[in-house]
Amino acid sequence: MGNDGNQVTLTKEEFARQSRILADSYHRYHIDAMETPDRQALPNNFIVKVGKIGLAKMITSEIFHYWGKWDVVFSRPCTYGVFSGPIGGFSPRPEMCVGCLRCTVQHPEFVTVLPNPARAALGDSYLSSKLISTIDDEARKGTVPVRGQGYRGRFGGPGWDGMFTDMSEIVRPSRDGIHGRELISTVVDIGSKPMSLKFDSNGELVNEGPKMMSIQVPFVFDSPDGNIMTKKLATIWKTAAEQIDTLAMLPAELVTTNSLASRAVVPILSTNDAANAGSFGNGTRMVELDSWDNAAFETAKASNHDLQIGIRLPFESGWQSKLTEMVQAGVPVIHFVANNHGEDNEGNFIMDLLMEAHNMLLESGTRDKVTFLNSGGIVAADHLPKSIICGLDAVGLDLPLFIAMQARLSGDTASRSGYKLKLPRKCDDKWATQRIVNLSASWRDQLLEILGAMGVREVRRLRGEMGRAMWCAHLEAEAFSEIEGFLGGDE
Amino acid sequence: MAMSKDPVKPSEALLKKTTDLMHDGMDARAFGEFEMPPALGDARWTDELILSTWHMAATGKVPDNLNYKTGLSNGGFDRLDFKMLNEDQWLEHSEDIDTSISLNRRGDERHNPTPPIPIYGGGMSYGSVSVNVMLARAKNAQKWNTFMSTGEGGYPEQLYECKEHVITQVATGYFGVEERSIQAAPIVEFKYAQGAKPGLGGHLLASKAGEEVAKMRGSVPFVSLFSPFPFHSTYSVEDHSKHIDWIQTVNPDALISVKVSTPHDVDMVAVGSYYAGAHIIHLDGGFGGTGAAPEIAKKNIAMPIELAIPKVHKFLIKEGIRDNVTLIASGGIRTADDIAKAIALGADGVVLGTSDLVAMGCTRCSNCEGGPSGRGCPWGLTTTDIELQEWIQQEWAVKRLDNYYTALQWRLREILRQLGLGDVKDLVGRTDLLKYVRGDA
Ligand code: SF4
Ligand code: SF4
Repeated sequence: MGNDGNQVTLTKEEFARQSRILADSYHRYHIDAMETPDRQALPNNFIVKVGKIGLAKMITSEIFHYWGKWDVVFSRPCTYGVFSGPIGGFSPRPEMCVGCLRCTVQHPEFVTVLPNPARAALGDSYLSSKLISTIDDEARKGTVPVRGQGYRGRFGGPGWDGMFTDMSEIVRPSRDGIHGRELISTVVDIGSKPMSLKFDSNGELVNEGPKMMSIQVPFVFDSPDGNIMTKKLATIWKTAAEQIDTLAMLPAELVTTNSLASRAVVPILSTNDAANAGSFGNGTRMVELDSWDNAAFETAKASNHDLQIGIRLPFESGWQSKLTEMVQAGVPVIHFVANNHGEDNEGNFIMDLLMEAHNMLLESGTRDKVTFLNSGGIVAADHLPKSIICGLDAVGLDLPLFIAMQARLSGDTASRSGYKLKLPRKCDDKWATQRIVNLSASWRDQLLEILGAMGVREVRRLRGEMGRAMWCAHLEAEAFSEIEGFLGGDE
Repeated sequence: MAMSKDPVKPSEALLKKTTDLMHDGMDARAFGEFEMPPALGDARWTDELILSTWHMAATGKVPDNLNYKTGLSNGGFDRLDFKMLNEDQWLEHSEDIDTSISLNRRGDERHNPTPPIPIYGGGMSYGSVSVNVMLARAKNAQKWNTFMSTGEGGYPEQLYECKEHVITQVATGYFGVEERSIQAAPIVEFKYAQGAKPGLGGHLLASKAGEEVAKMRGSVPFVSLFSPFPFHSTYSVEDHSKHIDWIQTVNPDALISVKVSTPHDVDMVAVGSYYAGAHIIHLDGGFGGTGAAPEIAKKNIAMPIELAIPKVHKFLIKEGIRDNVTLIASGGIRTADDIAKAIALGADGVVLGTSDLVAMGCTRCSNCEGGPSGRGCPWGLTTTDIELQEWIQQEWAVKRLDNYYTALQWRLREILRQLGLGDVKDLVGRTDLLKYVRGDA
């Protein structure tokens, strides 16, 4: 169509040329991951103890026994280089040990391999040492963790561990590419869609159309509460968010004092400062208010009609009535906040809380008017699709980002503000940003694995798809109900 | 000594020294001559389960002082136990207790193999494991008159000497699938999906796809190989039926096994497979798998085998076809007790993979896909490294597997006789003989 709305007829050549330009301008979304070595390596997985006398005796005996057969004399059980330092087994290099146990089986008299208690002591009851190790690996490589020999953990388990995602033997998102997952979209929309469009008798739209913005991945980088965020961290969040086309939610004060405003930055304001919502500029598309206050919401809205306004809603007693009020008031983005263990103030887990919130809005027919985000309790790649299945549009990440940067956490790590961070001594912004970009690439690729297995073509369609998930407790009840002594799943 | 940059085939002396040390060490650990290795085991395969498997592989007998029955996963098989009869009602432990199963229950004109144990070997492809490991498993299968599957890596020439006991797998990448290997097969297995990576296709990392492996698979050496998911020619159960027709044209006497993982609708998939012509429905649960798999897929996608077996068993009964098809379970079956529990939940028999590897020395360290050395399994199991693969010598490995299967059969008979059953087929679906144990089983 021409600018005046009249049809413009193109020659075949021009049509082909324009089509080619259009096609060439398409770039499939991709996150540039890059191996980014450790700056503050986790404690070794294993401790390798070699008895010096036993080793000396063995070497002496082997030299005598296999004199001249030097390949035999110098052969060692470790294929990973633990005994390949200048003085071999007399000074093993446990940081290279992967726990294959060949040395301790071959030489039980003088080699012992132990799990390192310092490694096991990392983390807390929710963000376990194993999860920290996994995030660390993901942030180093930016790839999907792949290992051999099956699953090693417990059957089912609490929280997200008690949930399995479904798969399809035949249905694929697409037969293009190797698995079809190359063409799966992880784009999500943030904002509000009207439940219907209204037109006047002239065919003109009379209500507001969809007011949404899109991000390329269903996760945003969020700030913990309190004073944990610094200028340095905020800058890293912002740069990483810009690189992967998502959002960084940062305290408004940090944004203002450090000129961090950008289309990827979402300043978080207190309700008292709602009038400043429209003041950030530089492409700012969205702000968040740190709690629910209808008047403050209206003030923020009035400050700039084009801004998306999100409201943070802690999972605390009475959140349901606030949610209802917020939806009725037309809040487009509701950002739930649980503690770092994914719990409300009564210990209820977000899996159930999110399903409750999603179902509440489904029942009132308003779910599509609102975007749901949640921060707190999402600390592993599998939590991402699982929380979306429970009703989220996207998740907020903070703790995993610190772990990706190899920060050590101490204090009350369950609370959103009660812990301290110790960053690596050499933690330059470029390194830290790449570690976060790597983590994002790894989690996105793992999300694609899950979506591919389910035959779901875009992550938007995963939202609230509880019928495509299986809960261990339900499956056990179905499978074991006739078995004596079985009282119910997930005991 | 520094690590050799270019591994070479070990000399006779090195081979002898290394394998002697490994074998003596395994025995010393299994027989309790040293304390339990502190870093051995996990919730599913505990230190005691691994060492008891080594004990069985060394002696053909179950150990006295190790738990060889259950792990510590706190659910599934580890929470189930048997309601044994009082001792005065037990049957004699004898070879008359029948542990055989039938693999062709359709009643068609094809052969009906009846292995004397309700076990056969799962697919581990050439490339993911060495020829030595494949051949050891095939020879053990021959000895036990049962089967083992090629996995999706082709059919190495050496396997033809055991061809009556080798299942040819046709998987989504069609790697190494040839008319000759279909014609040689007593059973052809369609792998739609595998439990360790349901919905994701196979994956052989570049470091393990060396010259020989690539030749077998018709690919370029040292390039990662991905099998697509799913079969790109299958959009429906009718397409699946067409697949089966192809195979039957090439080999009219082969039984057809259909291997699927365990989604929500696994019961419907099973029924569809039966009507498409399958003799064996092979359910592969999420907790097993021997090859490289994304960690996210191992636990989170699809359901554990314990929960899928009863679902399928009951649905097949409801559809009136349970007696016409053999239901095989795999993916996390570690012990004879697991085997009996899987059967009591509704399976006819099981497929073992990881347990075979553990019997041959696997410590479950998870470095099979190459690990930081890039060479694969340091024990010589899941590797085609020219040096490392020699640590598994066939004669030793066949003996280990034979002993292990002997111990499994012994324990299976022990369970049956304590339940008052003279035939493993009478255990199928007998959930009334199970009890759920609360707390750590
Ligand atoms: S356990 Fe394995 S990796 Fe670790 S030192 Fe021993 S041989 Fe090397
Ligand atoms: S690498 Fe480790 S887990 Fe894999 S087969 Fe070898 S011993 Fe077993």
